[in-house]
This record gives sequence, structure tokens and C-alpha cells, in this order.
Amino acid sequence: MVSILNTRPRTSVNQPTRGYRVFQGINGVILTGVVVVTLYPFVNIIARSFSGERQIRAGEVTLWPKGFNLTTYRIVFTDDTFWRGYGNTVLYTVVSTAVAMVLTTCYAYVLSKKHLKGRNVLVGIAVFTMFFSGGLIPHYVLITSLGLKNSVWAIALPNAISVFNLLVMKAFFESLPTELEEAAEIDGLSTYGILLRIVLPLSKAVVATMVLFYSVSFWNSWFQAFLYMDRADLMPVTVYLRNLIAGATGATDAGATTEQGSQVAANIQAVTIVLTSLPILCVYPFVQRYFVSGVMLGAVKG
Amino acid sequence: MKNAGHKNAGQLSRRQILSAAGFIGLATLTGCGSGDDGGDSKDLSKKQNGAMKEYRAGQQFKAAKPLSFSVLHNNNPVYPPKDSWLFWKELTQRTGITLKPVGVPLSDYEKKRSLLIGAGDAPFLIPKTYHPAEVAFVSSGAVLPVSDYVHLMPNFQDKVRKWKLEPELDSIRQSDGKYYLLPGLHEKVKSGYSLSFRTDVLDRLGLSLPTTWDEVYTVLKAIKAEYPDRYPFTDRWSTNTPYPAAALFSYLGQAFGVRAGWTYDNISWDDKAREFVFTGATDGFRQMLEYLRKLVDEKLMDPESFTQTDDDAVKKLLAEKAFVISANPQELVQNYRYNLEKQVKGARIEMIPVPLGPAGPVVLGGARLENGVMVSSKALKSDSFVAMMQFVDWLWYSDEGQRFAKWGVEGVTYTYADGRYKLKDGISLMGSAPDAPKDLQKDYGFFNGVFTYGGSWALVSSSFSPDEKKFQDVMAQRQELPIGPAHPLQSVEQEQATLWETPLRDHVTQNTLKFVLGKRPLSEWDAYVSELKAKNMDQLVGLHNKAYERYKKENG
Repeated sequence: MVSILNTRPRTSVNQPTRGYRVFQGINGVILTGVVVVTLYPFVNIIARSFSGERQIRAGEVTLWPKGFNLTTYRIVFTDDTFWRGYGNTVLYTVVSTAVAMVLTTCYAYVLSKKHLKGRNVLVGIAVFTMFFSGGLIPHYVLITSLGLKNSVWAIALPNAISVFNLLVMKAFFESLPTELEEAAEIDGLSTYGILLRIVLPLSKAVVATMVLFYSVSFWNSWFQAFLYMDRADLMPVTVYLRNLIAGATGATDAGATTEQGSQVAANIQAVTIVLTSLPILCVYPFVQRYFVSGVMLGAVKG
Repeated sequence: MKNAGHKNAGQLSRRQILSAAGFIGLATLTGCGSGDDGGDSKDLSKKQNGAMKEYRAGQQFKAAKPLSFSVLHNNNPVYPPKDSWLFWKELTQRTGITLKPVGVPLSDYEKKRSLLIGAGDAPFLIPKTYHPAEVAFVSSGAVLPVSDYVHLMPNFQDKVRKWKLEPELDSIRQSDGKYYLLPGLHEKVKSGYSLSFRTDVLDRLGLSLPTTWDEVYTVLKAIKAEYPDRYPFTDRWSTNTPYPAAALFSYLGQAFGVRAGWTYDNISWDDKAREFVFTGATDGFRQMLEYLRKLVDEKLMDPESFTQTDDDAVKKLLAEKAFVISANPQELVQNYRYNLEKQVKGARIEMIPVPLGPAGPVVLGGARLENGVMVSSKALKSDSFVAMMQFVDWLWYSDEGQRFAKWGVEGVTYTYADGRYKLKDGISLMGSAPDAPKDLQKDYGFFNGVFTYGGSWALVSSSFSPDEKKFQDVMAQRQELPIGPAHPLQSVEQEQATLWETPLRDHVTQNTLKFVLGKRPLSEWDAYVSELKAKNMDQLVGLHNKAYERYKKENG
């Protein structure tokens, strides 16, 4: 009797109600739909990248490669321009993300200190740039007259602080107990010591999230490089890809009468897209566990 | 609440300070940007550095001392630029000029061009500019009115005179009577598009290739009789273009003496009446629609032609759901024929010269100007301005320069005999020799769209494939329709015209489709014309005729 009484409430708590189960069912269906819609283009692009030219032209390729073919991969792998672009992208992403992380962390940490005088002005300066900007041409003139053109700094410096990321980080730092830092101070740590040894190790989640945010945006960005780079050998792979897609008709002209040429024309876009998104796709799952908690932590404090 | 309001007010004032600071910053920037425009621009005696004293048409240009000029370079993904190109090296050797390219990806060439010009950072030479893109830069004074300096360009002047291009040049003049773009010059109109037919099917049915639009109708009808469940004719170039079936309308319109499709312009010149008229309301336009309506109505033409993607259209051709489709020489050879041969046994396809219509053997006029070069105003301040103009003249307008830019160096990249250019063994051009280790564009930098266009018919036709040659030879015999005289609008008029242009154009496009697809009977033509009138058709035409009268009076 007792045991029954004991188990009953437990089941009523643990066993979902009918309404909840219906909700979960519907939820599952809808989310599966969303997953299919999001995944399909990915899978289709991957399938295309391995497919034969005739099957692609006939529109037979959907989820699985048809007429398996690696010609285009071979051509792209031997294309200097592509690899140079790839190298540039890696360089720009690493340098820019490093610069952005240092600057954003420092700025956010400073802003998280309530006792700082003029804190609101500093926040205001950052937020101001969210709503107003000098415009394209003044930007360009500025970067050019600073002599940053054709260097990685033209990409790294103007985008070093993303205001959104800054605010998320600031909120996270504010959520850390001040007592912790006071204790560290009493134990004799300097301001930088506190940041580096106490605050940052506790902030792995938000740091990982920010690194992900920044590196994805730098990896995907093409406009800055397009604006400030004058030589083809400085362009990141995104510009290469964009140019390729725009010139796809041109690519067809160049040698489509040959077997190899028309194979390349048929799926070079798919191949390049796969190759450019691959690294990000590989990194994502590992950073993702930090990712959710990092953003949420910031969000609670808003 | 009150407190909050108060706090807000405090923040606002801070914001005001910030924005004020921003404005001051901006003002300083613009102050820096507006450069001084000192010096008499007409006096060229101090700008002779490196120039040739006597430079005549047909003469090799060679700078008196080594110079270098910056040039905007459109980076085509098919032949990404390389420093090692023979083109750069040989150019410096022949002319003493080193070109310093500022590379811009083809995908966003126009964007970066505007930015560079706007920021005052443009290279001296800005090629690959399509009229009327240069108009946007005229009022700021960022590009030179090159017409003031063509006296430095003997080859350009020579070609304009020889090929009677003056009326075409007039069409790109601005309201100050000058032009700001050095366009590419063609000796003859180059036609691009026409119908292609499955000749094996025609042969089997005992039909011959049509030469007039009436014959096209008969042939389609005969194919329909054999395949009653299919549309004999499906068409393409309907997506990613402002006009459906843009190619078909363009060459069909030509046969009726009107501009339609890609070549559509609200205003066209009526040579008999000596005045401008509204294209979409002319009789020729109506007859063209009647013709197409007949094709669609009798199910000879696929109604999806006007909405489907190019890929879908080609798929229908390859699947033998259709036997007739619009083509250009490249598509014919590299797409249709190549894929048909792989998929359909015994299939043959031919492109015909544009069939003749009521307008007779004509081609649209005014198509002899190509994209061209703008010159940055900064170049005028340089002491080697004259040399630069002579160089531009040589590279883009002399026979030798054009031959060099297109085919390269004789004996190295090509040989020339009996009026024919032949690439050296081991060099391929656009897939001409699939096994060749080198490519004229990719490895040598010739045949580059930035430097190669226009020229004499002999040079232009020297790279035609056999199919294109056959097609172009017939088309080159046809007479050019007269083009409108110069009638530049003033800037206020231009703004007004732009406001009227778009709704009118849209209305014409929409109703073109409705008429052709039978959604609207052609008996409603008069109602359609009065709708156009309600959209300021007459005012727009009046504006252009007024500008024409004014220009005639002022400039003779």
C-alpha cells in the first residue's frame, strides 16, 4: 500500500501527460521537417559534387551521388588559386579572430565593472556604431589612408569588435560573483592577473562561443577582402567561390567541348562549396556544447 | 516614470554630443576628399612626358621613356590573372608602358568600380564599362569627357571615320555634347542569337530549314502534325533577365523592325516620320505579338517558354519534347549539339540565320559600340597624360594593338597565313585543342575581355567557329536599321524620364506576355495603348522629341 502510494505520485510526475505527449509528437514532426528542409540543400550539394555531368544536367541527382565522378575534385585540388585563397582564408580567420578576441574580452571586462566611471559613455560609444556608420566610401578612405590596404589588418581591425558579441560577453562577466575577484585581489592578484587567472578560466563557455561566432563570420566574409584587396593572390576563398559562381557561364565557355571541361562546369560550384564549408562543419560539433550554455548565460542577464 | 524620462534626456544629450562629433569627423573627411582642380585642363603642353611627337594611325606606339599606368582589371575566374603572362611582358617591350592592374573579381566589378571612383582612388584607366554606366560618374567630374581628347587618338578617329560611327557615338553623348566613355568599336554589327532546328527531324519529315518567319510557322506546323502531343518549339533566356524570352523577342522584333526583348527601349526612332515614338505602341510591335500569339495559340510553341529556366528548356530539347530552341553559336556547339550527340542517336542541330520578316533583310542599328574605357580625371593631372592617351589608342584601337591583345605574338602564340589565324601547336583557346598543355587565355593572358573586343570584321570573325562564321557571314550582309539621332536629356529631364520609364516598361512587358499567352485578346490593343497614355507615354515621347529639337538647334 505504502509502496503503491509512493510510486503513484512518482509516475504522475515522471510519466508525461497525454497532452504533453501530443505536443512532443507534433513538435517532433515539425522539427524533423525543419531538419529535412535545412539538411536537404547540404546533402544535395554534396551529392552533386560527386556526381557525373550527364546525371546533373538531367536533374537526376537528389540525395545520393549518381554516376560517381571525382574529376572536378581532382581539378580543384590542383588549382593554385583555390589553395592560395584557402590559405588566405585560414590566415585572415586566425589573425582576425585572435585580434577580435583580445579586444572584445578586454572591452567587455572593463564594461562589466559597475564601479567604473563613465561606463555608460563607453557602452554608448560601442552601441552607437550599431546604428550609425560612416558609410562605405568614408570607410574605404579611412582604411586606405591608414595604409591598411592589401594587408590582413584591413580585415582584422575594422571588425575587431562586434557590438553584439561585446554585450553578450559583458553580461556574462557581470554574472560572475564579485566576491571571487575581491578574494583574488586580497590574495594579491593584479587586475590582469584576475582577468587571466580567475575570470577567463571561468568563462570558457562564453569564450568558446565568441571564438566560434567570430571565426565563422570571418571565414564566411568576403566583402572586406573584396574591398581592400587589389590582387587576386590576396583574395580569400569566399571571393574565389563567389567569382566562380558569377562566372559560371564563363566557365562553361572555357573548354566545355571537352569531356573534362563539361564535367567541371557541371559541378564545380558544388565542389567548391563543399570544400569551403567543410572546416567549419568539422569544428562546429566540438564547440557546440559550449555554444548553447555560453549564449544562454549571456541572455539571462541580457 | 518622470525619473526615467529625465534619465533618457540625459542620455539623449550624450548621444547628441556623439553624433555631433560624428558630423565633425564626416565634414573633415569630405573636406579632405574634395581635391583642388587647379591648372588649365585644355593646355596639354606640360603633359607631354614620354609622349611621341609624331604619332599617326597605323604606327607603333613606343613611349619616349618607361612609364607605368594603373588600370582596373576585371578578374575573370576562367583565366585568373598571373604576373607571368606574356601579355604584360610583351606589352612593356613593345610600348615601354607597364600596366599596373588593380584586380577586381568579376562578380562585383561594378560595385568596386563605383567605390573606387567615389573614394577618389580609381586607377587611371577604367575599362570594361558598359554604356550607360559611365553616366553616374559624369556629374561628380570623376571621369574625363574623353571626347575632348580624341585628337590625341589617331587610330580611334580613323576607325570612327572609316566605319562611319559618328551617329553611334552621338548616342552616348551627354547633355553637354561630350561623351565620357571610349567605347569599343565594331566595323560591323555582330549578331548573336537565332533559332536552331533539329535538322535530322526536318530531313525525316522532308522539310528544309526556314528562311522567313512564315516558313518557320509552316515548319513548326509540320512537326506538330507528326508529334501532336508535343510543343515543337520551346524557348529560354526567360529567367534572370528583365524580359521573358529575351533573345527570341530581340531577333523576332528585329524582323518586324522594332526593339524588343533584350534590345527593348521605350523610345525608338521612326525614320520615316523623323521623330521618336513609343516602341511598345508601334504597329511593328503589335504584328510581332500577333505572330507569337499564333504560335502559342496553335500549340506550336510551349507556353512555359516565357517562365522556365534555361536548364528546363534545354532538358526538353534533350528529351526530344521539343525540336526548336533559341541559340547562340556557343550554346549551339557546346551545349545543344554536344549533349544531343551523347543522348540522342543521330541527332543533328543547326542554327539558322535570323528568319526574315516584314522589315526585310535588316539588323538593328547602333549595336556597333561595345563596352569601353573610362579615364579617371586624375589622369589629366599627370604629366604623362598625352602618352597615356596615345597608349590607349594603340592598345585598344590600332589594328596591331587589337591583333596583339587578341592573338598574342606571331610565331610564339599564333601563325598567320591566307587571312587565317592559327594557334601554335600546344595552345588551346576555349577548348579548341583539348589536349594542348597551354591555354591562350589562362597561360598567356591574351584574348582577355578587358583588352580584347571590337575591331575590323576580319579580326572579329577570325575567332569564329565554323558554325558561327556561316551564321555571321549571312547576317553581315543585312542592312542596319537607322538609329536615332543624338538627343541628350538634361539632368532634370533625365530624372523625370526615369520616373516614367519603369512603369511604362513594366506595363509593356506584362501585357506582351498577356497578349502572347492569350490572357488578353489582341482586340484590346487600343485599350492597352490608352493605358500606356495614362502612364505618361506621350509626355515621355514629347520629352525626347523636345531634347532632339534642342540638340539639333544648338549643335547643328
